[in-house]
Amino acid sequence: METLLYVALFAPLVGSLFAGIYGASPKTLLTGIVTSALIFTSFVASLLLFLHLYSGGERVHVEMMDWIMAGDLNVPFGFVVDQVSVTMMLVVTLVSTVVHIYSMGYMEKDKGFNRFFSYLSAFVFSMMVLVMSDNFLGLFIGWEGVGLCSWLLIGFWYHKESATWAANEAFIMNRIADLGMLIGIFLIYWNIGSLQYDVVFANISNLDITIVTWIGIFLFIGAMGKSAQFPLHTWLADAMEGPTPVSALIHAATMVTAGVYLVIRANELFFLIPDVGYFIASLGAFVAMFAATMALVNRDIKRVIAYSTLSQLGYMFVAAGLGAYWIALFHLVTHAFFKALLFLGAGNVMHAMDDELNIMKMGGMRKVMLGTAVLMLIASVALAGIYPFAGFFSKDKILEVAFDGHHYILWGTLWITAGLTAFYSFRVVMLVFFGSERYKDFGFHPHEAHSYMLWAMAPLAVLAIVAGLFEHQFFDFVHMVLPHYEFSEHTHHMVGQLIIVTTAIAVTGIAIAVFSNMFREGLFSSAFRNNFLYKLFDNQYYIPKIYDEVFSKPYKELSEVFWKQIDMKIVDATVDGIANTLYATGEETRGMQSGNLSYMLRWMVAGLLVLLVSAVAYTYSDVLLTLLQGVAK
Amino acid sequence: MIAMEHYIILSTLLFAIGMYGVIIRKNLLMLFFATEIMLNAVNVALAAISNYYGDLTGQMFAFFIVAIAASEVAIGLGLLIIWFKRHGSIDLDTLKSMKG
Amino acid sequence: MDYILSVLIFFPALAGLLGFLIDRKAVRSYVTTVATIEFILSLYLWIQFDNNQLGMQFMEQASLIPAFGIQYLLGVDGISLFIVVLSTFITLIGIISLPEDTKDLKEMLLTLLFLEMTMVGVFVTLDAILFYLFWELSLVPMLYIIGAWGGPKRVYASVKFFLYTFAGSLIMLVGMLVMAYLYFQATGVWSFSLLEWYRLQLPFDYQLWLFGAFFLGFAIKVPMFPFHTWLPYAHGQAPTVGSVILAAVLLKMGSYGFVRYSLPLYPDASVYFIVPIAILSIIMVIYTAMVAYAQKDIKQLVAYSSISHMGVVVLGTFALNPEGITGSIFLMISHGIVSGALFLLVGVIYDRRHTKMMDEFGGLASVMPRYALIFGIMMMASVGLPLTIGFVGEFLSLVGFYKVSHILTILAGTAVVVGAIYMLSAYKKAFFGTVTKDENKKLLDLNGREYATLVPLTLLVIFLGVYPKPVLEPVDNSVKAIVSLMHQKAITDEAKEVIPEINFNEEAR
Repeated sequence: METLLYVALFAPLVGSLFAGIYGASPKTLLTGIVTSALIFTSFVASLLLFLHLYSGGERVHVEMMDWIMAGDLNVPFGFVVDQVSVTMMLVVTLVSTVVHIYSMGYMEKDKGFNRFFSYLSAFVFSMMVLVMSDNFLGLFIGWEGVGLCSWLLIGFWYHKESATWAANEAFIMNRIADLGMLIGIFLIYWNIGSLQYDVVFANISNLDITIVTWIGIFLFIGAMGKSAQFPLHTWLADAMEGPTPVSALIHAATMVTAGVYLVIRANELFFLIPDVGYFIASLGAFVAMFAATMALVNRDIKRVIAYSTLSQLGYMFVAAGLGAYWIALFHLVTHAFFKALLFLGAGNVMHAMDDELNIMKMGGMRKVMLGTAVLMLIASVALAGIYPFAGFFSKDKILEVAFDGHHYILWGTLWITAGLTAFYSFRVVMLVFFGSERYKDFGFHPHEAHSYMLWAMAPLAVLAIVAGLFEHQFFDFVHMVLPHYEFSEHTHHMVGQLIIVTTAIAVTGIAIAVFSNMFREGLFSSAFRNNFLYKLFDNQYYIPKIYDEVFSKPYKELSEVFWKQIDMKIVDATVDGIANTLYATGEETRGMQSGNLSYMLRWMVAGLLVLLVSAVAYTYSDVLLTLLQGVAK
Repeated sequence: MIAMEHYIILSTLLFAIGMYGVIIRKNLLMLFFATEIMLNAVNVALAAISNYYGDLTGQMFAFFIVAIAASEVAIGLGLLIIWFKRHGSIDLDTLKSMKG
Repeated sequence: MDYILSVLIFFPALAGLLGFLIDRKAVRSYVTTVATIEFILSLYLWIQFDNNQLGMQFMEQASLIPAFGIQYLLGVDGISLFIVVLSTFITLIGIISLPEDTKDLKEMLLTLLFLEMTMVGVFVTLDAILFYLFWELSLVPMLYIIGAWGGPKRVYASVKFFLYTFAGSLIMLVGMLVMAYLYFQATGVWSFSLLEWYRLQLPFDYQLWLFGAFFLGFAIKVPMFPFHTWLPYAHGQAPTVGSVILAAVLLKMGSYGFVRYSLPLYPDASVYFIVPIAILSIIMVIYTAMVAYAQKDIKQLVAYSSISHMGVVVLGTFALNPEGITGSIFLMISHGIVSGALFLLVGVIYDRRHTKMMDEFGGLASVMPRYALIFGIMMMASVGLPLTIGFVGEFLSLVGFYKVSHILTILAGTAVVVGAIYMLSAYKKAFFGTVTKDENKKLLDLNGREYATLVPLTLLVIFLGVYPKPVLEPVDNSVKAIVSLMHQKAITDEAKEVIPEINFNEEAR
């Protein structure tokens, strides 16, 4: 089993290094094939590990070697495969296998083909470290590793100013959150003395509740960065500058769910602090709605999907915050499938449209790319949460959890959001694949993607349809490590009604999207576009602008002031001032050394007199002192 | 009776005159004379004090100083003449080769 | 090899003297050989080093001025061992990195050998006077390197460097003399031996004054805010090799001094000054990182980033627990490697374009991909990404200081954010985007000599990031010895509380 673990973990790294060797050479298909094969190997290994656990096997735990040892701190490279991590491993390797194969087609004309695969595999490796680590610092390695790969991949087309800017934004914003995470790790270390999950969770209940609360808050700050929760969310939409397979893998299926994974992984900790949990859930619900509103009006196909990801992450946090960890994980899994599918479909569309992203310039494309249209339709239905697609089961469970805890505001928010979700996902589908063929006006000649790219997407489509049906098996599997969430009797009776209500709003959303599009292209009339709300949504609540004005610009200006005014004109000038004073004193007194003998003799005599006087004064100092005291009196 | 104090006062006066000369004179030759006066002021004091204590060491010292001063003047005047021949002046203000 | 430390100190200097006789054409290979032998000797020292022994090893002793107890006293422990290895390694790299067209190549090479002597000397002497001697001597070769081979304002920069550090160390010398006098008062014998001084327990107010005197000397060298302004000038004007050695080794003298002198000699004063020093360090971290962000000259940027990182080093040192001090020493080593590499990388581009302004570049990633790759790795190490060398030290330093203060650590922790800001934006300016200048279109990627210098550094950055144990273990043992000494010596209750007691029985690994 340990061998399998190592294979699953290191196969992507080997692939990355292999592709890296060819990094600067011209495109070779070999790199794509080798990395894909190695990721697939990793997937198979994960699958075998899954089967081992599913058949009731013991969890696999290895300590590879020592890493940091100083003082009492001892952090090894340790890896653990249990029910939770194996689920994540499966999702990560499955989606990345698909994305790798897909990318061979998507990136075929790109100069950086080899480099791309090197980065992509490196990302998978980091993600595997993140989910498989058995301690918080190992998780942090993966955490930062995926951040680095995300930086590399968002900025993959580095000649584009917007891409590199977005890459830096993502990295820096994540770093802010990582600082929170580091502080959480410090707190754990000084209060428990170890960073191993086993030790930490065994002892966490002995700690003072305020400390546990602080640990929870700081760890969640880390999670907020990676999962792009408000107010650290702006990077995710900008990250869409990267190649689309990257968005599918990193910014939909895997990396952004790392925050949710952290909360699930640390469930023993968050279980102790329901207040923080409630805050997490509230923030999640807020983000779900907040992001969905921005998705309503955006005209950029990738950004719409990105906001939808944000919104779905909000759902996951609601479940995780309310203690329904297995449901959060379940939604994470199903979401990974249909969201990756959606992104890859969007990638096909983009390719067909020569990287045009504006959905207003598309329309009626089902005629030229039927395969993609079907796949995206499946994904959208799953996203909207229609029975029996995957999204239905997981999303509905989250709504039930919110309802069950009597958090009716959360429930209401999520319920409305479900309608919005259905609307915006079908708005995209309608605008892209149905209606009149507006692309012709702009001179595009769309074409369907390679068939192997569509076939690569097929497993995701299948899973997007059927994954939800395995709800009970999934629950039986993960509840060995995750706590069971008990629904109350009351909710039990209500389940039927709840499902109907939720499905109703989703169907309504779809219906509005479909019908409005049939009668009027573009959905929003020009009058509507001048609406305040529309403007607010379209400008992303003006948050990027505010950040720019409040943080970026003042930081830059302050830096200039620090350098030019303070460092140069105060600190350095003081030093130079002292030096110059000394120099000037020398310059002034050099007159003494005129070389004129009589002049020097006079100085000599003056010096002699001073010495004489002081010698006398010293000899008679006591007499002088009494005299002076007498004068003073 | 000429007491010890009188010699000392004489010596001090002579020394002060010599020092005044050193300060005020610009001519190198005059400077030499002034230093000679200062030296001899010390000699007077040495001789007087030696007499007062009945110890001959002081008077011997005075002789030594006279002898050394004589040789010093000989060398000094020699240098002075060479200087005068080269530069045509023994005015102190023109002696500035050591100016900093 | 009983006298290996003496050999390490004087071999380069003697070889340097002989070097004057060597023909100008052959001198490069001669000096490279000397530096290689010296490096191998230092590796041999590491191999022979007993990790489990806590005290000084390879001790050598001879009396120099018996009347005042000045001795020729040498020894290494885990703390100095790696800085010695780093010094010889970086000198070798620096010598290899010198371009062929350097003017007066022979003189430069021989100067580097003398510099190497003084650097090794500082880190292995245990006698205060000898330490001071090497400390001051190290200024002279560096003064030449900046003053003779530097940029347009080299004279100003070198004089500033010399006088500033010199002024600081004079105050340190006064401190040393007072310390020796106090020792004389207490025991009736003169001694400048550090090991003897360690045994002296000083009254609190004496500690404060002496700590202050030593602090000035060390703080200017580190350089701590607000004594840092000589550094950007020195780096800005120095030739590449000068910057490399200055950043990699000479700055470490200051932080090494804190660990070797200030902490064990004045434990109570160290505790007393924790907060002011931490505040200075935090200003160093944030303020200089912001100043770095405003720079247009990429070399100045790396120079300011050095100051910012040294802030974390000082902070870790004044955590006064094994985690923090070990971390700060590891960070010294990692900063030596990373900043050395960054200066070399700046040198690469300067050799090609003769400018260091970031505006002049842009899009270099497509012209010089391998260069961009190595620069990227070093940048990530500088930013402190896990599995690079930079993370281990930074993490340990911060973790250590977190024990002392939560708020201050959170402030200092912004290092991970502000560091990323200036580094990434600089990288973006220089490497990303399109190539705008024609001169940049035909730039050549790294050549053999540059690979020879940069690849070993890159490998080290990754190796020690993944497996820091060979370095951490000896450092940690020696640090524990120092911390337990401090705990024993501490007289105030506050200090006893802050400095943890070390239980060595556990450590009998």
